[in-house]
Parts: sequence; structure tokens; C-alpha cells
Amino acid sequence: MLRGSLAVAAAYPFTVPHVAKAAATTASVWFSQGFVQDEDVSLRKAVADYEKASGNKIELSITPFAPERQKIIAALTSGVVPDVMSNNPAEILQIYAWQDRWVDVSDVVETQKSQFSETALVAARGYNNVTKKVGVYGVPVRAAVVPCHIWRPLVEKAGFKIEDIPKTWDAYFDFFKKVQDNLRKQGERKVYGLGFQVTANGVDPYNLFMAFLLAHGGKDIVTRDGKLHLDDPKVKEAAIKAAGYLGGAYRDGYVPPSAINWNDADDNNAFHAKLMVMDVDGTLSTEVAVKEKHPDWYFKDMVSHGIGYPTDNAGKTVPSIVGITQWMIPKGAKNVTVAKEFLKYFSQPKVVGEFVELGLGRWLPVMPSLAKSPFWQDPKDPHLKGYVQQGLLGPTVPDYYVFNLAMAEVRSQHVWSMAMIDVAKDGAKPEAAIDKAFKRIEEIFAKYKVA
Amino acid sequence: MASASAVDVGRLPLRQRSLARSLRGDLKGGEYTWALAFLVPYVAVFVAFVAYPVVYGLWMGSEASLYRELFADPIYQSSAVNTVLYLALGVNVKMFLALLLSGFFMRPGWWMKALLLIFVLPWAVPQISTFISIHWMLNGEWGFLNNVLWKLFHIEGPHWLNERWMALGAVIVSHIWKWTPFWTLILLAGRMAIPLEIRDTARVDGATGVRGFVYITFPLLANLYLICTLLSTIFLLGDFNAVTFVSGGGPANTTHVLATLGIRDAFEIAHPRLGVAAVMSALPLVIPLVIVLMRRLRTAEVQL
Repeated sequence: MLRGSLAVAAAYPFTVPHVAKAAATTASVWFSQGFVQDEDVSLRKAVADYEKASGNKIELSITPFAPERQKIIAALTSGVVPDVMSNNPAEILQIYAWQDRWVDVSDVVETQKSQFSETALVAARGYNNVTKKVGVYGVPVRAAVVPCHIWRPLVEKAGFKIEDIPKTWDAYFDFFKKVQDNLRKQGERKVYGLGFQVTANGVDPYNLFMAFLLAHGGKDIVTRDGKLHLDDPKVKEAAIKAAGYLGGAYRDGYVPPSAINWNDADDNNAFHAKLMVMDVDGTLSTEVAVKEKHPDWYFKDMVSHGIGYPTDNAGKTVPSIVGITQWMIPKGAKNVTVAKEFLKYFSQPKVVGEFVELGLGRWLPVMPSLAKSPFWQDPKDPHLKGYVQQGLLGPTVPDYYVFNLAMAEVRSQHVWSMAMIDVAKDGAKPEAAIDKAFKRIEEIFAKYKVA
Repeated sequence: MASASAVDVGRLPLRQRSLARSLRGDLKGGEYTWALAFLVPYVAVFVAFVAYPVVYGLWMGSEASLYRELFADPIYQSSAVNTVLYLALGVNVKMFLALLLSGFFMRPGWWMKALLLIFVLPWAVPQISTFISIHWMLNGEWGFLNNVLWKLFHIEGPHWLNERWMALGAVIVSHIWKWTPFWTLILLAGRMAIPLEIRDTARVDGATGVRGFVYITFPLLANLYLICTLLSTIFLLGDFNAVTFVSGGGPANTTHVLATLGIRDAFEIAHPRLGVAAVMSALPLVIPLVIVLMRRLRTAEVQL
């Protein structure tokens, strides 16, 4: 037996050339699982098409969202990495760019530079604290914004029409308080007007707060040079209004009480259960998740509002914060050549356009030219045209951690959430809650000095 | 160089011989080689899956600055308090209930066996799905518990998971519900191992009921009870399922324990070293527990 084992060990070197040959044309790719199966099907198709066209092999690993995040961080910590991975969580591109852990992919992005939206290109960059330079480390794949999702039957049951919903920010959200009041009068004991994620879990509460911050004039909280502007009175006033409105709506009983402990999917589930009349939630996952099973919901009962609806209180369009999914190549990847070839293939407008369309349009394309396709402009679809207008054609900004990595920690430490919860649950004045939040943000920014 | 005496020269090979003998035992020639060959996989597995992860973890959490950052985090402070409460209540209430229930299940009769079968079900079913079910049952708006309260009594139930102490209480009760059957079975086995003669003799001497438990049963079970308590404490320190799936660490991160805080810091904050440090900060509690446990396991006293 021992002799047999030795024989196997001795034979090992002869097996190496075969493995090496396979590695030369094989790349491993990690991506997160979709909310609907069509998303995974579209990814597999794109990968299969690449394999057919190139003769290379892609080892594709599709993992659910939360475990994939852990898998990626574990891989980057241990150094055992795939050839290509996506930015889950989104800010991971900037976090590990800071540590010089990505391969520069500017040559890949260059092949389609004229096609990508400016927001997508900006989001592909990250500050490298080793080289003290900004580099291009991401290849944009798809995008998402935060639309409002509304149940038409609940609005109508309350004696209103969808067309009655005001256009300006505060009036828009106040409308749903009236809807709740009317529904309660009709004996609806457990229907709430607003689905605000006043919680300290997941990414939704940060996105919600930032949407309110921008709507109230706080867009310059961090400027493109990475500088923080908490001393700007406009920013402070906007933050106070955001914390006051969001926390106040919860305190006053217009948000489901369980929202204080929601995780990312909980508001989707609560909305589908008609626990609330409206929800403010990223992507069209709320709608596409039910498209096949409940087409009447998708085409008739659910209304989604994006760009220009609502506007800010003065009637101006509020820019939407866009989260961009990016491909990255980690340093230590075994086959950078095939990885880059694959990304160049995937970045072609035809390929990346088909990828998002086959995924039912939950995610947006990152190239404005793709928004003109019949899929996105389909007059029979009640959601897609407005969604692509909001996230691609209208005014957009990338998420603020792109400008300064500290904002990624503001998000993961749930600083805004704590301000909302202080108002919602502990009865704090919005001014006091924001003073506390600003102090914490300053502490976080002090850790990230950009040269 | 000093020259070695004839005695020294003679001693060296003797020492080598005794070392070789202690390593080889009575194995001769090829037997020793085979023994080594069989040993290598076990040593390799031990090094790869026990020694390496422990040493790697210690290395990851070895920087003092990590602990400064950790102790400055207000969530860490509440998590440390929660961990102590979770251990103190979770372990002791569970073990005490298990001790009482193990006496109950000693009763004879087929129906007692049937009841035992039903009783162990919470332990037998997968824990993640049951904890998720509890999370949904406790939902304030549409959860099973509040719906029952409303349907039967027209009472608006509280929002169980919206307040720190209620949410932590829900986590502790869920843990007790899940694991009491297991420790009941262990203590039941311990009780059944007490020789009938001892109990009969005690009964003749008047030690029945509570007196029999206090003077006969419990002293004989005490070592087992202590070992079970220590083991349960060590298991619970590393457990994150109940917190993750019942309260999710909320509301507002107020019900985290060190194990879940470690996961949060490592993967949500994307700071794996800080996550390891959070878990490592429990070592001053774990190491004495392990030492006491080892000493109890080596005890020479005649106990179960």
C-alpha cells in the first residue's frame, strides 16, 4: 500500500503539464445569484456564448447574495481568489482598491469607453492607498437605482386615484399617510402607508436616507474630490429633514413597526403581503419577482415611480444615486489573460445589453445607447421605461463611497440608520440625532486620508 | 573543545536508544514504517483543520490596535453584556430544566416513551429553519403569536423583536427550547446509569422524593451536570444561529453577541481582522472554562 502511495506521488509531476495546459484557457468567475431565475439563466447564456466563441473555459460559480459577500471577503483575506469576481458588496471595489488588491483593468474599459455612462465610469475607479493614485479597477456590468413601488388597489380603496399623487417630495410621501388614514377608517387594521426601512440591517436604509438627503439639497455632503462638507448649512439642513421625516413617519405610526428590524428582503416580502401601500426600494426586484406568477400584479396593480416623480419640494428633478455592479480581477488571479478576454467580450453592448434584458430588466444597462432598445421602450410594460429613464438617461450620481471610501464605512456602520432610529424610537430631536451622526462620520473620515 | 569521557560517550547512545524505544514501542523494522504511514493522514488532518485555523486566527487577531478599535465600538460593549446574559440565562435555565425533566422522564410506562419522542423533536429538526419560523411567529404585524392573541382575546400583542430586552429574551427562550431536549437526554442517561441497588438501599433508609434527589441522585449526577454545563457554555459562546435568525442582531444592533458581532465585523464591515478580534476577546472566558472542563474530566472520584 505504501509502495502504491509512493508511486502515485512519484507520478504527480507527469500530471502537471495537463493541469497547466487547462489553466491557460480556463478562468474562474464568481457572480451573485439573481432574485429571479431568469437572471442566472441570462448569465449562464452569456458565459456559454463566450466559451463557444473563444474556445476558453469559464468555471462559473453563482452564489446567493449574502453568502457570496462572505465568500469574496474570505477569498481576499486568504489570498485564494478566482480570476474574476463582482463587487458584492458594491463598496468592496473601493475598499480593496485602497489596499492595492485589484488588477488594473483600464485596458478592458477602454474598449467600450465611449459606450459607458459617465456615472458607470466614475464608479469603476478607486483610490489606491499604496500607489497614492486613482486607478480603474472595475468593468461596469449593470446598474440599479431606487424607485418607489405602489399598490394601486390600496390607493383606490382609500378613495384616491394614482393620478392624485402629488409630484413634489414631501407632498408625495404625505399622500400615503392620508391613504393609510382612510384605510384605517375602513377597518384595515394592519396596512401602513409607507415602507421606510428604518432599520440598521442591509443596504436599504442607507439608500433610503441618501435619497431623502439629496431631495432636500444635501448632494454636496461629499464632493468629487473626496472632501466632506458637514459644515455646509445646506447639507446639515437636508440631513435633519431626512432624519426628521423618515424617523417621524415611523414614530407617528405610518411605517410598519417591524421595519425597525427589517433586513434587505423583508420590505419586499412585506410589500407583497400588502402590509404597506408603498415601498422605496432598490431595483425592480419587487415587480419582476411576481411577473410570472402574478402577471396581473405586474401589469395592473403595481405602479413604480422613478425620475421626476417625485421631484424635490421646489419642483426640480432629484438626481438618482446609481449603484453599479462591476467585474474585478483580484491580484493573485491565476489567469489574468483569459479573465481580461472574457471581460472584453462581456462588455460588448450586444452582450451586456442582452444580459440585463434576459434578466427581465431587474437591473439596468450601463450604456445609454442600450436604453433605446425595444425592450426598455416597450409601451406595454408599465415599469421598464420609467426605470431606465431614472437610472440611465436622467441625472444620476454614483454612490458617494466612490469619491471617498469613508462613505462605505458610513454605510456599513449604519450611521444614518442610527439617526433615523434615534428619532423613530427614542424620541430624539432630528437636530440632536444628526449632530451625533455627524460626529461619527467625522471620526470615520479621519481614518481615510486621501493624498 | 573538551574531550568527552568514556562514560559520556556511553550515555549518549543510551539516551538515543531510550528515545527511539519510547517512540517505536515494541514495533520492529517495517512495522514502524507502516505505523508512521497510518499516522501521517491523521497528523495532516489535525494540522490542516485544527492547528492551522487556530494559529491563523490568533495571528489575525494579534494586533493591539484591533482591540482598541473594538472596545471603542458601542456595539461591542452591548454585545459583551448580551453574551454574558445569554450564557448565564441560556445555559443555567436550560440545564436546570433538563435536570428536572430527566427525572420526569424516568417514570415508567409506554406513554412516557411516546412523550419523550415528542419532546426531543425541537432538537431533532434543523435549527436554522426553526429559528426562522420563530422569527416569523414573533413578527408584530402578521406573526402567528399576535394573530392568535387577537383572534382569541382581541389583544394587540407587543412587537416582540422591536425592543432590545424582549428580542434578547426571545433569542434566549428559543435557544432553551431548542437545546433542552438534548441535555435532558444526556442527564436521563446519567440517571439511568445509577445502579438500582443504590436507590433501593436509600429508599429503605428513608431517602425518598426530594431527600432521595438531594442526598443520592444529585451527588451522583453532579460531575456529569457540571461537565454538561461547561460544554454547553463553550458551545453557546460560539453559537450564532439563534441570534442571527431570531433577532438578526436587531433592533439597531442591540442584540448581538460576540459570535454574531464577529460575523458582522468580518463580512458586513468587510474588516475580517476586527471580526476575529471580536471572537478572540472571549478567550479569557473560554480558556479557564476549558481548563476546568479538562480537570473535571480527569477527576478520579467515583462519579457518573
